[in-house]
Amino acid sequence: MKKILAVLLSAVMAALLVSCGSSSGNSGASSVEGRTGFIMGIDPEYPPFSYLGDDGNYTGFDVEVCQAVCDYLGWKMTVFGVNWDEKLVQLDSLECDCVWSGMTILDSMKEAGYVISKPYYDNTQVLVVKEDSGFSSSADLAGKLVAVQLGTSGEVLLNGDLADLASTFSGVVTCDSFLKCFTELAGNSVDAVFVDLPVAASYAAEHEGYKIIDEQLGAEQYGIAFRSGDEALCKAVEDAVAALVENGTYAEIASKYPDVVNNLIFLND
Amino acid sequence: MPEMKKERSEAILAIRGLQKSFGETAVLRDISLSVEPGNVVSIIGPSGSGKSTLLRCASFLETADGGDILYDGQYALRDGVYASKGDLNRFRTLFGMVFQSFNLFPHYSVMKNICEPPVLRGKDREETREKAVELLRKMGLEGKENAYPCQLSGGQQQRVAIARALALEPEILYFDEPTSALDPELTGEVLKVIRQLADDHMTMVVVTHEMPFARAVSNRVIFMDGGYIVEEGHPEEVFGDPKQERTKQFLANYNR
Amino acid sequence: MSLLTMILKMSEGLGKTCAIFFLTLLFSLPLGMIVALLRMSKNRIVSFVTRFFITVLRGTPLMLQLLAVTYGPYYLFGAGVSRNKLIPVVIAFSINYAAYFAEIYRGGIESIPVGQYEAAQVLGYTRFQTFMRIILPQVVKRIMPSVTNEVVTLVKDTSMAFTVSYQEMFTIGKQIANSQTSFMPFIVAGVFYYLFNLIVDRVMGRIEKRLDYYK
Repeated sequence: MKKILAVLLSAVMAALLVSCGSSSGNSGASSVEGRTGFIMGIDPEYPPFSYLGDDGNYTGFDVEVCQAVCDYLGWKMTVFGVNWDEKLVQLDSLECDCVWSGMTILDSMKEAGYVISKPYYDNTQVLVVKEDSGFSSSADLAGKLVAVQLGTSGEVLLNGDLADLASTFSGVVTCDSFLKCFTELAGNSVDAVFVDLPVAASYAAEHEGYKIIDEQLGAEQYGIAFRSGDEALCKAVEDAVAALVENGTYAEIASKYPDVVNNLIFLND
Repeated sequence: MPEMKKERSEAILAIRGLQKSFGETAVLRDISLSVEPGNVVSIIGPSGSGKSTLLRCASFLETADGGDILYDGQYALRDGVYASKGDLNRFRTLFGMVFQSFNLFPHYSVMKNICEPPVLRGKDREETREKAVELLRKMGLEGKENAYPCQLSGGQQQRVAIARALALEPEILYFDEPTSALDPELTGEVLKVIRQLADDHMTMVVVTHEMPFARAVSNRVIFMDGGYIVEEGHPEEVFGDPKQERTKQFLANYNR
Repeated sequence: MSLLTMILKMSEGLGKTCAIFFLTLLFSLPLGMIVALLRMSKNRIVSFVTRFFITVLRGTPLMLQLLAVTYGPYYLFGAGVSRNKLIPVVIAFSINYAAYFAEIYRGGIESIPVGQYEAAQVLGYTRFQTFMRIILPQVVKRIMPSVTNEVVTLVKDTSMAFTVSYQEMFTIGKQIANSQTSFMPFIVAGVFYYLFNLIVDRVMGRIEKRLDYYK
């Protein structure tokens, strides 16, 4: 009986391994010709890039740009909220056509075969603390607890390039949404939140009592992820964005997001 | 004043004008009976006649609606009003009950089934044990001390239940159809034990369908129907020469 | 990252997973009995209120209850969020599982034949003695299979603690999965849960066997 179980278990595991091995190579090459719709995968809780607007519809800088791209190409846009730490799996399983939501480009994504657009945004990570906390540098946070969102580049950085900094903290708490990170900070269960600069800036602007420690940690860039084999789709979107930059629509949208505008690559070249 | 409390001191159990209904259905209408020490009273009658309910009222398992219940001349129920909880608990030590479905505690060994109640009442553990062994011997269950009820036949279980009731040394023992749940070949061993108790002058009230047994063992037989006592008397009178038409019919069905 | 590093890293979180598991059982098993008794109370109001809470706890997701217990006080009263997440996590789990256990206990208690109570009453057992000595031991035996079910579910449910940022084994697994773009941590987690439940099954089976001396 036990042997049968063991065999069954390993069979299941093997099947899983095979399926996940093949999934990153999923060439769901969706055509550009004749395309009528486009599903945009976003983190629905990631202002100012993508979030649920006051009117109940998704909005944000990325969402507006994508809408403009779809309008330009004559596609019908659908917004799909992904589970951020499963975003690439959801992309592979055709739940969306791209992940476009303040997404940091990671080498591991390219290695896994995903098609990544040209970067459009220079991002830095910052620490947000309470205004009355007296912390003014990352060194002040030695022995303190820091929250970071699960699946964000901040989390990857703290485990990688910034591991030395992370080791000075008393611990790193990973939350499954960026809002929870700030709730933890508000409720004093953590001392700082490690998050992308624009997110930090827009949160600090909208909520009293927070400040951003003036120290840019880990420079990265944002891009759009497509499935392996979707080079043509990526190219079409890139070209459309270029056209929008050309005709001024891009700058118009950007002007609505003051926290974002300074780091937009296409506007600052 | 004390003579007011003790009425008919010779009766262990006295019931007067007892009434009990379940909802709209009157099950006991004006029942009176008394049981004197050393007597064996059998209650017979068709099912639904109220005989079990009568026993259950006497043992406080059902709440009567009206009438009196006296133990040793003291009121447990007076005009439909029960005595205090403490008094009722005291009266409970006077009677024992043997159920149709035995109701042994399945997770206890035979020995623990018999010994725990007296020990909980403060009896000496060793004395209780010795007494239990003696009772089991009397019941023909030597060597079954450590068995669990599920390992015993129905007849054996019922004899353990009788031993359990006797271990508390009650003044009066109630049997509620003690053989009705048994296979016919097992009823004999239980009836034999009850007969033995009768020979030892144990005071008992037996609700039963075993007519020959009731006739042979009882000092008095009560025939109940529709919540009334229809006829009562010496077993030879009731069985041999019933006065009431209803009794004759009932017995005729039984004698076939 | 090698598989060994992965397993070692996730084992660190296993202690926290175990903490949720054992503390939840420690509190919810007795609490469930109290809830069951309140639920069966003859006082109509007590029984109704208890029933209401049971339906709420069984009728809403555990994840929601975790969020409510952890962040609710902050959003409602501006109180702080607990720094030690184990506290709200165990509170939420215990209350939730108590509701399930309460219904199991109630089923068990109601399945005991009324004759057991009657025999005990006639033999002079007090109500408390009847419950503790006669009813409860029989209930325990009858409900063991359902309790085992719940305990197995509890092992798996511990993974839900990630929703309030408690760094148990599964949360760490997700972190590794992210940084490594790998599915392997989930397989490791699956094996961990499976082995955990294998042990649970053994232990519960042994307890059931020990209660097997009567029918």
